[in-house]
Amino acid sequence: MKDQQFDVIVVGGGHAGTEAAAASARMGCRTLLLTQNIETLGQMSCNPAIGGIGKSHLVKEIDALGGVMALATDRAGIHFRILNSRKGPAVRATRAQTDRLLYKQAIRYHLENQPCLTLCQQTVDDLVVEKDRVVGVVTQMGLKFYAESTVLTVGTFLGGIIHIGLESHAGGRAGDPPSNRLADRLRELPFRVDRLKTGTPPRIDGRTVDFTVMEIQPGDTPEPVMSYMGSAADHPQQIPCHITHTNEKTHDIIRRGLDRSPLFTGVIDGTGPRYCPSIEDKIIRFSDKTSHQIFVEPEGLTTTEIYPNGLSTSLPLDVQQDLIRSIKGFERAVICRPGYAIEYDYFDPRDLKYSLETRHLKSLFFAGQINGTTGYEEAGAQGLLAGINAARASRQQDPWYPRRDEGYLGVLIDDLITLGTTEPYRMFTSRAEYRLILRQDNADRRLTETGRSLGLIEDARWQSFCNKRDAIEARKQKLAGHWIQPGGVVAENLNTLVENPISRAYNLLELLKRPRLHVTELLKVSGLNWPGDEINEQVEIDVKYEGYISRQAEEVERLQRQENTRLPKDIVYQDISGLSAEVRQKLEQVKPFTLGQASRISGVTPAAVSLLLIHLKKNAGRKQLKSA
Amino acid sequence: MLTSRDTIVAIATPPGRGGIGIIRVSGDATKAVARKLLGRTPKPRYARYTDFVGVDGSVLDQGIALFYPAPKSFTGEDVLELQGHGGPVILDLIMKEILALNVRMARPGEFSERAFLNDKIDLAQAEAIADLIDSASQQAARGAMASLQGVFSRRIEEMVESLISLRTYVEACIDFPEEEIDFLTDGKVLLRLDDILGQLAKVLNDAVQGALLREGMTVVLAGKPNVGKSSLLNQLSGKDSAIVTATAGTTRDLLREYVHLDGMPLHLVDTAGLRRGTGEIELEGIRRAWQEIERADRVLLLVDASESDELRPEKVMPEFVERLPNLDNLTVVRNKVDLIADEALLKKELLSSEVISVSAKTGFGIDKLKQHLKSCMGFSALGEGQFTARRRHLDALEKARDYIAEGRTQLIDTEAGDLLAENLRLAQLALTEITGEFTPEDLLGRIFSTFCVGK
Repeated sequence: MKDQQFDVIVVGGGHAGTEAAAASARMGCRTLLLTQNIETLGQMSCNPAIGGIGKSHLVKEIDALGGVMALATDRAGIHFRILNSRKGPAVRATRAQTDRLLYKQAIRYHLENQPCLTLCQQTVDDLVVEKDRVVGVVTQMGLKFYAESTVLTVGTFLGGIIHIGLESHAGGRAGDPPSNRLADRLRELPFRVDRLKTGTPPRIDGRTVDFTVMEIQPGDTPEPVMSYMGSAADHPQQIPCHITHTNEKTHDIIRRGLDRSPLFTGVIDGTGPRYCPSIEDKIIRFSDKTSHQIFVEPEGLTTTEIYPNGLSTSLPLDVQQDLIRSIKGFERAVICRPGYAIEYDYFDPRDLKYSLETRHLKSLFFAGQINGTTGYEEAGAQGLLAGINAARASRQQDPWYPRRDEGYLGVLIDDLITLGTTEPYRMFTSRAEYRLILRQDNADRRLTETGRSLGLIEDARWQSFCNKRDAIEARKQKLAGHWIQPGGVVAENLNTLVENPISRAYNLLELLKRPRLHVTELLKVSGLNWPGDEINEQVEIDVKYEGYISRQAEEVERLQRQENTRLPKDIVYQDISGLSAEVRQKLEQVKPFTLGQASRISGVTPAAVSLLLIHLKKNAGRKQLKSA
Repeated sequence: MLTSRDTIVAIATPPGRGGIGIIRVSGDATKAVARKLLGRTPKPRYARYTDFVGVDGSVLDQGIALFYPAPKSFTGEDVLELQGHGGPVILDLIMKEILALNVRMARPGEFSERAFLNDKIDLAQAEAIADLIDSASQQAARGAMASLQGVFSRRIEEMVESLISLRTYVEACIDFPEEEIDFLTDGKVLLRLDDILGQLAKVLNDAVQGALLREGMTVVLAGKPNVGKSSLLNQLSGKDSAIVTATAGTTRDLLREYVHLDGMPLHLVDTAGLRRGTGEIELEGIRRAWQEIERADRVLLLVDASESDELRPEKVMPEFVERLPNLDNLTVVRNKVDLIADEALLKKELLSSEVISVSAKTGFGIDKLKQHLKSCMGFSALGEGQFTARRRHLDALEKARDYIAEGRTQLIDTEAGDLLAENLRLAQLALTEITGEFTPEDLLGRIFSTFCVGK
């Protein structure tokens, strides 16, 4: 297997790597996935869960583009819940507790059955660079693989250092070595590199936990489903989670151990996520809180290991042991893996293009934690996009990426390359200004048609999508064509459901706009009949949100001109008088591609955007004069 | 080096002869202009008495030169002010010299536009500069000054702050449900929404006053010929502008007068008496009268009290009322009450809330009429810190209020958190339009085009 040529090489078999490889291969490109260890393909290094607020939006978008994450979640989920169920469809999210082994199996099954995809266990040490272009990789064994495009998804493995107390050692994840040769090699290239940190809690032997004193949290019924192609029938056995809390005693133990914390003694300089802090962080920052919630999550059906979500820590093992045992239900708990913090290299995502290709080296794409994000879903989303664009680039096709109003995928990419990140980037629904359009329930309606034309959607999924799309339209038509006259028996029945009795003839679609009136009730009143399912939900949201959605659509339209105004590559911000030094510096750092992107850089004021526009208009005028 | 922004010049003093004439230059070439004309760049922010020298070495004028280096200047760019003698010929000579130095004439409002673009002032402040220059009363000038000093902007910012803090709460509840805050039912959001709505109502009320202070009201005097419209115009304006005769149809064209009531500009329009026309000129006059009536903030329908006892508008002049687009801004004014001999009848009339009785001849009832005009525009005594505002500010405030009210309804009726959050976002966008943070650029162009040159 020497010196082989592929269309696309993907380095790394985590959540970004697997989506990238699967997408590229689905598009028919000869794809090679290189991983340090085939056994860890699809490994969940942190908590055993997929989805959550903002995150399930990404998972459903990956799914709508034919990705593997949602399908694997339905095969591995042992506890499904809908979060924010009462706060409105736009912010509703699905979260699944997953069995680690089943998840890995499902991912591996997909990859092994994916035509055009070759899996190979090799550690990549170097890139083969010709001029400003990456043409292949070299492995530890000295094997060389060549490809038109190369995707790097090496997660926390670049220069990874694991900390437990004041002890530290090199590692990419507990039990796996880091990729230090590759890290050194990449540091020689002109990328901006910095350090981030993240952490995990100690894992506990479930046989030593007293669940009877904890609050039980069952999954939802009916069981929510992650994939548009999935069903509850795909799910394995369902089991409950539990909830417990830290207390003053726990907090005292932590405070006493801080002198041996790598975080508070300055050993770690990488920045951690503000929204997912370690327990020691939480106790310092929210010192007035006497208790924090801990979700006690099962790691799987065939293991007794427990993941105490909310207890991420890098305190020394003896402190970890004491603090665990101070918590209700954990009095006799035994730690089977210590918690740890990991520091790793990440590359400033502002050195990337929208396609996730690097600006400095052609044909090289970055996806996942290497770009400063955290979370399986964020990684998978980038992997998918990098895979698509690596495949397209290998065929000399233009890149494809969604806009901010088309998907959380678009928000993610635009945020990364525009704002960069100084802490691990996580998706939230509040990052999406067009949140009402970008719902988890309509990801397929937003993206699957495009996915089909990109070559990502196989026939079965396409057929199922078309059926759904047509059914929504058909039901709307039927509702619009069914009228209720005032005065009759039907109207009387209807009036018991609404605040203001109807005074003129209404069709059912109009009535659906009224608050608290749902399709099922209208069917009952009118005598129409069809099943109560997700199609009804789509019809309902379309109708009830119509005003808001069209308002957002107008906003998108208004800003489109800025988005389409490209900034020349050779623009010199120093020459634009009126721009403050701070704004100039920010523009130089980001080098935005469009005026719209420039307007989203923090600190770039609307006045500065006007100055850019004036500059562009003037230059366009000059050029016309010259060419005339 | 290419300078990407032109250097601009304008005469800042009014056209014509004056004691002093000021020329203002702003932009990157300012220093070069100073060196050519003055032989050096003057010491920053010091008045310097110097010759203004032409390219051929001849002294064009003598005067004071002031140099403000960027960014500490009005526009945020290098600025040079030349204060010479205020003769049009001298100023033109100096302008010609400067224009030859790769400098161009400023567009109207361009100095203020640059001050805004360079973040020296916000949009509401930029508008206040124009308002200050245009203000027609002391009250309006004081209001514009308050806006320029940022009184209005600060009140907007306070509200934006409240909104941001509420949004932060709502968004946190949405994105971190595990924190177990049920914002939809805990009542806190509703309290804060009502608080912001209260704040908005106050600012909106002040802004309405501020807009009245700037724009005032248009009052049209209408009625049959010879009921005393022109006399009333003269009485209200305190001038003798309209020709008053006993002959019906004396006024044929429109006649405009301008006064102010406690600082509120009052644009008075006298019109031709409405009757079946008796000639081409009068017909045209009547057509114009109707045009004004349709545009007016208030229409005063004058009747001769000595001829009719009717108090109700539709009885007074049915054909007029029928054609009126909006009955709500109509007031019937019974003139010539000095001619009513029957005291009982007069008493009854004065007690009626539907009509206002005046005598344009004696001045009887005029104060009551003025009071009536102020109250129907909602113009009240001005408080401390009154600022000026524009129609576009009122629109933005009203939009913000409607968005928040809509969000409140969504919260109560459907408990839709995502819609509430969207309404709050839109309200914030609307408010920040006032200070210019989210203003579309075409709006900018419109705003700046209404400035006078040199500012």
